[in-house]
Amino acid sequence: MDTRRLAHHEFPILGRAYFLGGRASTSVKHVLREAGVEEAVVRRVSVACYEAEMNVVLHARSGYLSLDIYADRVVVGVIDKGPGIEDIELAMTPGWSSASDEARALGFGAGMGLPNIRDQADEMQIESAKGEGVRLILTLYREGEHDG
Amino acid sequence: MMGEHEPVTLAQAAQALGLAAQVGAATEEPITGAQVSDLLSYVMANGKRGQVWITIQTHPNTVAVAGLAGMTAIVIAGGFEPEPETVARAEEEDLPLFVSHETAYSLAGKLYELGVR
Repeated sequence: MDTRRLAHHEFPILGRAYFLGGRASTSVKHVLREAGVEEAVVRRVSVACYEAEMNVVLHARSGYLSLDIYADRVVVGVIDKGPGIEDIELAMTPGWSSASDEARALGFGAGMGLPNIRDQADEMQIESAKGEGVRLILTLYREGEHDG
Repeated sequence: MMGEHEPVTLAQAAQALGLAAQVGAATEEPITGAQVSDLLSYVMANGKRGQVWITIQTHPNTVAVAGLAGMTAIVIAGGFEPEPETVARAEEEDLPLFVSHETAYSLAGKLYELGVR
């Protein structure tokens, strides 16, 4: 099986910049399309990236998104400098959110971010500790049985 | 009865619902369905290619969500006006953006009546 890496990109994410939220994910979408990645995969990666990006915007000071396109998969890393997640299992619970009232008024903070990411990704690795930011690594295979 | 009618286009919907275009024009693009929600994550998870999104959110993140989900247009209901940054972002993304004084409920009902299911 061809598992070569074809491209690597990085996109910065600014914390608290609600208005800029989604820029990195939109860039990811364009890059994947140009690289000829399958449309169904582009959509799954886009949704996962958006949720992860907004988590950085809503909770962290700053972060970045890395995108690696392989012949057989797409790997996304979203790494931030922020308060971190104290209880990852709790954060994965649909409906649970620590978003501010301000964020909720804008339609964020539904507690669907991490569950949405889990639904889109084939593999999800999340590392965090209180005060140490979050490191999220997602793998999405370009062919397979995932129906996203 | 499905499949017996031509799909409703964005232009037909805009005319029937009296939508005012803020960005882009009502094209002949077919509408495959709609979402009525103000929760961005819900639309991100459930929005589908070709759908129209009816919302009262006015900030630019709506454009990012609709664009990433491949939706056809955003309709801001309830007489709310999009923020200037939202208009700029929709122009940048080439995403049609409409406004209406009617409620989301009323717009969704009319769209359903038109045959968008």
